[in-house]
Order: sequence, then C-alpha cells, then structure tokens
Amino acid sequence: MRRLGALLAALVAGAAGAAAEPARIGIMLPLSGGSSIAGQEVLSGVKLALEEANAKGGLFGAPIQVFTEDDEASPTKATTAVRKLIEGDKVCAIVGTYVSGVALAAMKISRDYKVPMSSGGSTAVMVTDANEPGNPWFFRAFPGSDVQGRQSAVDTVEVLKKKKVAIIHDNSNYGTSLADVFKQIVLGAKGEVVAVDTYNTGEQDFSPILTKLRALRPEAVYIGGLVGEGATIVRQAAEVGLRTQFIGSGSMMTDKFIELTGPAAEGFAVSSMFEPDTPNPVGKAFAERYKAKYGINANVHSALGYDSMSITIEATRRAGKCEGPAIRDTLATRMADFPLVQGPPGTTAKYDAKGGVDFLIGLAVVKNGKRSLVTY
Amino acid sequence: MYTLDFALQILANGIVIGSVYVLVALGLTLIFGILGIVNFAHGEFYMLGAYFGITAAAIYGLSLFPLLLVGILGVVLVGLLSERLVFRPLAGGDMTSSIITSFGLAVALQNAALIAFGPQPKLLRTPWAQIPVEIGPVFMPLQRALIPVIALVLVVAVHVVLRHTWTGRSLRAMAQHGTLAQLYGVDVKRVAVVTFAVGAALAGGAGVLMSSVFLVQPTVGNMIALKAFTVVILGGMGNVYGAVSAGLFLGIAETFVAGYLTNTLRDIVGFALVVVVLLIRPQGLFGRAIDRA
Repeated sequence: MRRLGALLAALVAGAAGAAAEPARIGIMLPLSGGSSIAGQEVLSGVKLALEEANAKGGLFGAPIQVFTEDDEASPTKATTAVRKLIEGDKVCAIVGTYVSGVALAAMKISRDYKVPMSSGGSTAVMVTDANEPGNPWFFRAFPGSDVQGRQSAVDTVEVLKKKKVAIIHDNSNYGTSLADVFKQIVLGAKGEVVAVDTYNTGEQDFSPILTKLRALRPEAVYIGGLVGEGATIVRQAAEVGLRTQFIGSGSMMTDKFIELTGPAAEGFAVSSMFEPDTPNPVGKAFAERYKAKYGINANVHSALGYDSMSITIEATRRAGKCEGPAIRDTLATRMADFPLVQGPPGTTAKYDAKGGVDFLIGLAVVKNGKRSLVTY
Repeated sequence: MYTLDFALQILANGIVIGSVYVLVALGLTLIFGILGIVNFAHGEFYMLGAYFGITAAAIYGLSLFPLLLVGILGVVLVGLLSERLVFRPLAGGDMTSSIITSFGLAVALQNAALIAFGPQPKLLRTPWAQIPVEIGPVFMPLQRALIPVIALVLVVAVHVVLRHTWTGRSLRAMAQHGTLAQLYGVDVKRVAVVTFAVGAALAGGAGVLMSSVFLVQPTVGNMIALKAFTVVILGGMGNVYGAVSAGLFLGIAETFVAGYLTNTLRDIVGFALVVVVLLIRPQGLFGRAIDRA
C-alpha cells in the first residue's frame, strides 16, 4: 500500500515537472514616485500583452509567470531590483524601465548576468550607445532620442515653418540628449536658436524662463522633458503672455497633457510614435483591444509597454527555452518579421546593431482639445 | 532682452512666489517661536489645503473666496487634530521628539493624500486664471495677481491679532518666557490650540492660492516646507516680521537667479543663503542674539 502511494506521488511529481516549467519574465518600472504616471501606463500595456499571451496558452504549455519590481525612478533602487529579479526570481528576460538614467544603471547589471532587457520607455540614446555594437543586451523597440530630436527639429523647420526657435529641457539624460540633437539640426537648417534653458525635474515655476522668452520672441519653443513639467510650461506661457508654437517631446503625447494644460494646449505639437487612430492596422487593433479592457485610450506609453512585452514573449517562444543568452540571440537576429503597434504601417521589431528600432516618427497637433496626426 | 521691463516682470513674479513662502513660513515660525515645536509636517498642511480647494471646486464649483474658506477650515481641522493627537502628548519633552514625530506625521499625511486623491497631479481651474491683468510692463492673470493681495490681508490679520488682542498677548507672552507666562495665568493648552489653528490656516490658504499656479501632488509639501524652513532661518527662528521680509526676499532672489542666470540654480539660492547666514549671523538676518543662561 505504502509502495503504491510512493509510486503515485512520483508519477504526479513527474507529470507536473514535465508540463509546468513556466517561463519567468521580470518587469521593472517606476510604479510610485515622480514618474509613476508613465510607469503605470507602460505597465497597463505590458499586462495586456501578458493576458493575451496567456489566453493563447502561455509559453511551453504553462501560463507565463511575471515578477514585478518598482524601481521608483531611482538608479539605486533599480540595481537592487534587477539583482532580485535575476538572482531571486530567476527570470530569463526583463521588460523595463522608463527613466533613461535608471535603465542605464540597470542594463549594465543584467548584461553581466546575461539576461536581456527590453526598454519600458527609456529614450535617451546613451542607453543603447552603452551596448557593444553588434552585441546588444538592451533592446529598445522604438527610435532613440537622436532620431526623435532630429525628426522634431525637421518637422519644426519644414512642416511648421519655424526657424527662430528656443529650447527648454530638463537636465536628465532624456531631456539633454533630445535638446542637443534638436539644436544641431535647427542650426544645420540655417535656423536660429535664440535661447537654451534647463530646469530640474519636478520644477513648478517657469515664469522667469518664459518671461525671458517673451522678450526674445521665438517663433517656436521646443520642450524636451516629461509630461508634468511640459504641461506646466505651456500653461504658464499663456499666463505670462508668451504666444508661440510649442513642440513637445514624446512623453507629452498623452491625453493627460491636454487635461493638465487646458485651453492653452490648443496648437501644441508633439512628436508621435503612436496614436489611437494610427494608420498602422496592428496598432489600431491594439488600441481597440486596449480601450475595451481599460475603458480609456491607449497612448505611447501603453503601446511601447505592449510592444516590449509581446516581443519578449515571442522571442522566448522562438528561442524554445527560458534562458537569457538564447532569448538575446533571438531578439538580436530573428525578430525582424514581428509587427509592432507603434510606428507607421508595416513597422517591425528589426533591431539594429545597437539594439534600437528605427521608424518614422510622426507629428501630432492639438486641435479642439484632441491630438491629430499631421505627418507620418 | 535684460531691460527694466524684464526686471519688473521678474520682480512681480518673485513677489507672488515670495508671498506664498511668507504664508507658509509664518505659521512655521509661530509654532516654533511659541510652542518650541519644529513642525516638519507643515508642508503637508499646504498640500492638504490645495487638495481641499481642488476637491471643493470639483464638487461644488465654488469661486476662489469660498474655496479659500473651505481650504483654510479643512486644514485648521487637520492642524487641531495633529496638535491634540500628536504634539500635545509630547508637550514638555525634548525638541527632537517633536522633530521625529512631525516627520512621521508628514509621511502619514502624504500617504493619506495618495490614497484619497491619487498619484496623478491635479490643478485648480478658476475663470480668473483667464483674465489678464496689466500694470505697466507687468503682465499676469488675475488669479496670480490676487495671491500677494490675499497674502497681505492674511499677514495683517495675524499682526492685528498678535498686537491688539488678549489672545495675541498670551501668545507673545508664551514666546517670550513660557514658565513666566504660565505663572501669570496664561492657559498653555489654549495657546497651543490657537497657534496650531493660525499656522495651519496660513499654510492651507497658501495651498489653495497656489493650486491654480503649481500642479498639486501628494509630495508637493516637501519642497515648500524646505523653502519655509529656509525663510524661518533667514528671518530668525520664531521672528514673525523676519519671516515676512525673508520670505519675500527669497522669492524675489530665486526668480532673479532663474531669470538672469539659469533655472537649475534657483533651488540652491535659498540653501546657499542659509549657509552664509548661519556662518555670519547665526541668529538670522532679522533675529536678535540672546544669551542663554
């Protein structure tokens, strides 16, 4: 009798071992603190991708297991979080994180452990530049700050026809790298940069900068920064009587920006990697599923979260095992056919040597309280 | 670019910011001067005032003055509860215990606000934000222009209470010498209640006023509290009129640095001033040195 019991137990254990070796994927995002608005939006896209993959049976015959860490937008917290995900939770791939400086700190650790990371929103080009060319471990499924800053500058000069510009940016990696490229391109197009001003993230009062700009009369002002500060700048500009064309960086591409800015948002232009009414059919279908699940419109953050998570899941499936180096090789070489919800129709996860994906970035302008795409 | 008109506009902006520093610092310095309590949760009084104002505006659609009243009364209630539940049980103890406790209170209030109002930034919208006011070369919306005016009214009210009422006399007596004031029959508990009510009212009022200018988040009290402490040290700990002058001075100095140098340096101005003042005049710019027996 006892022997039969032991046999039965061994059988059950054996069956469980064969069927359920779930893939373990880590998620690291700023879920509290200053960047939590964006972090939560990215997470909503990640969750939708996970849900859809699990509804289709997950990976290797078991639902995917995810482990989520809050990095609080702090490089110190992130280095601990990455170690915990890899050493404690034994994840084989990580999706994250949002803040570029934090991603930079985290990617060095995950590379040492040979676990690939897929960006949860970090745009600064220095993160992918930290990859060894031809041997990337950090992947970004959308263009970096170099491409985005260049496109915004080209659109400012050619589409909006503004040549006398001013730049306001935050002193983070993200804001600084965007502003640098923007300035070079405008100067290269025989434009004039009348002022470059920096501010600390979290700044609340921009009236001194904006008062100065009012005297300089720029035709356009480029803002390289996050949504909260961007909204405050545009609103306070109206308050100090500065009337000009504002162009914002990609993080301001959310409905929250329009809500916080109010009537002053009218005419605001923003570089756009994704809109709910995107001409990209994959993106449009995603936007509809997202709206059905959450009741609100998808935005650039939820779209890139969805992309990074779907790519990671698909690469793990194609690699055939939950092991960092195998997934890394798949990401680097075998994902060029995988469609993205961001970008124009036909955009795929075709990573370049530095782990970035290049696609055309559009320009959206706020009209009657809603963004609409002007160019693509 | 750096014309007289520009300087005047910067000055006007500085006065607006400075008047808010004055309101928050005034309550802080009163509570310290009279009760000897260092209240690190004072920035949270400001934050809650802003949230009360925004919430009342969203529900009842009130205009600025009723909102101001709602914000002030709401924060006075919080201030009185803090006094009764947190600070009174510690009365007579070491000053460090009030410092640690108020830190705890600040964290508790911030997290309460996070649960009640959410992490998303909010903003008070009133029709007055759209009405421009132009005085010579200086331009600002009516909403902003009213801030120094209302601040002035509140400061004068505090002055009148302190100078010309028996309540004010008992407060000043406590500030001068606690034990002696008690011997002369000053009710210590009543003084503590009044002090906290006045301090909270000023911070709550400042919160409502600024909620149309700055975005409101649960952590917004941190920076304003640091600025208020700067003002209190510059003006001399416990010195009411020093706080008024130092508050305006700090606001104006910050906007001039931001306007003429760079915005990234503005938050350093106050702290650099504090270091210099503590080295050269430890009693504060407007304080008097006292010999301790």
